[in-house]
Amino acid sequence: MKQENIRNFCIIAHIDHGKSTLADRILEKTGALEKREIKDQMLDSMDIERERGITIKLNAVQLTYKYKGEEYYLHLIDTPGHVDFSYEVSRSLAACEGAILVVDASQGVEAQTLANLYLALENDLDIIPVINKIDLPNADIDKVIKELETIGFSKEDIVLTSAKTGVGIEALLEKVITNIKSPKGDINRPLRALIFDSLFDSYRGVITSIRVVDGEVHVGDLIKMMQTNAIYDVIGLSINTPKEKQVTSLKAGEVGYIYASIKSISDVLVGDTITLEKNPASETLPGYKPMKPMVYCGLYPIDASKFDDLREALEKLKLNDAALTFEPETSKALGFGFRCGFLGLLHMEIIEERVDREFNIDLIATAPSVIYEVLLNSGEKLMIDSPNKMPKKEAISKVLEPYVKVNIFSPSSYIGPIMELCQNKRGTFINIDYLDEERVTINYEMPLSEIVYDFFNKLKSFTKGYASFDYEVIGYKESNLVKMDILLNGEVIDALSVIVHKDFAYNRGKIIVEKLKEIIPRALFEIPIQASIGNKVIARSTVKALRKDVLAKCYGGDITRKKKLLEKQKEGKKRMKKIGSVELPQEAFMSLLSQDE
Amino acid sequence: MRSVYIHIPFCENICSYCDFCKMFYNEKMVDSYLDELHREIKETYQNDLIKSIYIGGGTPSCLNIKQLEKLFSIINIFKKDKDFSFTIEGNFESTSFDKLQLYKKNNVTRLSFGLESINENNLKFLDRKCDILKIKETIFYAKKLDFDINVDLMYALPTEDMTILNKDLDFILSLDVNHISTYSLIIEDHTKLKINNVQNISEDLDYLMYETICKRLKEKGYLHYEISNFAKEGFASVHNLCYWQNQEYYGFGLGASSYLSNKRMTNTKSITQYLKGLYSYYEEVLTKKEVIEYEIILRLRLNRGIYLKEFFEKYHKNLLDIYDYQELLALKLLNLEEDRLFIPEEKWYISNEIIRRLLEAEVHG
Repeated sequence: MKQENIRNFCIIAHIDHGKSTLADRILEKTGALEKREIKDQMLDSMDIERERGITIKLNAVQLTYKYKGEEYYLHLIDTPGHVDFSYEVSRSLAACEGAILVVDASQGVEAQTLANLYLALENDLDIIPVINKIDLPNADIDKVIKELETIGFSKEDIVLTSAKTGVGIEALLEKVITNIKSPKGDINRPLRALIFDSLFDSYRGVITSIRVVDGEVHVGDLIKMMQTNAIYDVIGLSINTPKEKQVTSLKAGEVGYIYASIKSISDVLVGDTITLEKNPASETLPGYKPMKPMVYCGLYPIDASKFDDLREALEKLKLNDAALTFEPETSKALGFGFRCGFLGLLHMEIIEERVDREFNIDLIATAPSVIYEVLLNSGEKLMIDSPNKMPKKEAISKVLEPYVKVNIFSPSSYIGPIMELCQNKRGTFINIDYLDEERVTINYEMPLSEIVYDFFNKLKSFTKGYASFDYEVIGYKESNLVKMDILLNGEVIDALSVIVHKDFAYNRGKIIVEKLKEIIPRALFEIPIQASIGNKVIARSTVKALRKDVLAKCYGGDITRKKKLLEKQKEGKKRMKKIGSVELPQEAFMSLLSQDE
Repeated sequence: MRSVYIHIPFCENICSYCDFCKMFYNEKMVDSYLDELHREIKETYQNDLIKSIYIGGGTPSCLNIKQLEKLFSIINIFKKDKDFSFTIEGNFESTSFDKLQLYKKNNVTRLSFGLESINENNLKFLDRKCDILKIKETIFYAKKLDFDINVDLMYALPTEDMTILNKDLDFILSLDVNHISTYSLIIEDHTKLKINNVQNISEDLDYLMYETICKRLKEKGYLHYEISNFAKEGFASVHNLCYWQNQEYYGFGLGASSYLSNKRMTNTKSITQYLKGLYSYYEEVLTKKEVIEYEIILRLRLNRGIYLKEFFEKYHKNLLDIYDYQELLALKLLNLEEDRLFIPEEKWYISNEIIRRLLEAEVHG
């Protein structure tokens, strides 16, 4: 394989702009797959990815394409499309020399289009702008071309495609060859290979996706991970075409997989550099960052006897997801469970859904929390990932919380509501950019906890679904934060405690208390609900006692039905958690997330 | 001693809330139905002594005189106990004086009328009609002929407020009958109401109505002997008590249920199946534990509750050794007076929750 005939590229796009479908069409056009072999969106191999239309795990495929009599090797690296996985995106971009930027012909440029474009430019990639879905009746190609021109592309470079009908795919492949540079690495230097993904295979252990930058690696080599200094034996090398093909070596510029009998995915850090043990490189490749969970929540099995099953499920998921963290946690209210850390809200939802779907465990999830930095009067510094770990007010000197820079992309007609939303979320305005007369990007600095707390839904409803957003963590800032407890029947329900800004506590307490009143079923006795900060009650409400639950009629024909009804009620109660003297449905916890102000 | 239920599924008018097995009256269909009913009874009845018969519906009174005579001749097969009680259901419109006399001749002892409400909005909501004069006249003759009489009252309709309820109660009390059944509206599956997505009134208003009914009926000397049933002293429904005391009964006809030798059965609701002689639709053979569960669920609907000695004689076990009711006693959700365990009347309205808790307090091992 001649290095100058290799092209490493990825496809980047806003969610739903047709990235995966376009990838399928490229596979088909290069003959990698027959049409009949293509399941929709071949690269998204997990069910959940296909269903949600998002790519969670990375994939790299080698394609061959003849152009002007020369054979070219195209390595298509698929990237996840969501902000939660932006580090993974940035590492897979670092494995490429070029990127296809896909924009939907009817939607135009969106927040993640820009975010991904900036990431690609940071990585010095050659960009091929593509307007996709041109077959759609509401496609507005001229408008999207203007938008692309505004963000710095020239009209002649833009390729028009329809992944659905196959129009423009050949032109696109030619552009990949002519406009994207070939890899620059030096085969004679010591091995440096970038880890841009890994996944766990129950037969072969951890499979590591790599891009060889310099040198070469052979089956049988001893390799060294430069961050962890761990050394492994290379058992096999392969490429994906997209059928797996064993190879004996991978050289500078090439993309493939290493099997090295690595037992745990946590030993393989995305962004780390692989070198040879014998002849190590002196410098790592740039850009490595350890992945840190940003959002935490408690996960508890509804059925307490499933605690071990839950542990096993999380362990299995962790095999394929180095970013997931968990440790045992106990709650007076919920019993035994795990404090889990996630990259973001979507990551959290995906894990919860997978536990439910793949392992069949009904979960209660506590309201998500971010990590707070707490400085004590004693000078000690604590990182707090759960409201219940918050020290007593008197011991605290100050509390800092993570801030993010939010980049909201929206039609200009919604500027007013968006700014109002951001102000209410403790946002600080930075600037506003007009992309054209109709579209703007609005930048705010905002506490991450406010994003975690129902920002996305609000933004969507304030803008009728037109706005999209993206964020990056920019650091910690001091805030006036307090822990608010919820009491049922006079008892603190630890799982319902939250950390809130003091100015917002009263309002939020009132909302939570009212919400709980709606959700908690009436019981034999009335249940007082209170929200308190320390010993001060800031909001209260009461669930009235059950008034009437009896079935008036019960005669011959109704008797078995009456018994079945009681049995159903008994079953229903089993799904609820008994907390002190109160039976609480699962929704009570999630309801703390969504609120109507 | 067993009881007998016979179902007559025909009606001249279909009410919006009704989920019983019913269909429009059709003379020919009734004739073949009665033939099949006759066959079913002959096939199943074991020639034992019968304590009560209840002919329910549908609207049994919508059968014509000839058909009613045929029905009574079929029923003649049953060997009747000396204190035998015989109820027939009906509506006021179709109950003529001739039919009342026919009932009398055939030893019917008790009439049960669906009255439900006299309020115009309520009636419209229920798809019912009502003729006050006809009601008064029918009750007058029925009393003259010495029938025991039950009248049904329905409440908690979305069209109803306390004023309407009180007017309905005024009217029902003015009839001075010896038994009154009351039902709050239940929106059942497969009824017009459910299909039209009608919502229940608030739990609080429902409760207030229930409380008002109990109070006003009690003032007039009615004994609240079962959650929904009120009777003057000595006039509790013999037949329905058989259900609530977990005793056995035959069930004949379309959709009818029976409880015989620890087996609960329900007949098909399909008239074509039934006319082909394929009666049974659902069968449940009860374990001893289930029999006891039924005993509890049903008996606790009654003001008398469960007599513990009687329970021991029937099941050779103390109730306390099966279900630990001590906590419920402490919470005053159950009362124990000498040998009698019962839900105090002021807690009847939440009896489901109490029974559920009792059944969950099962003693293991």
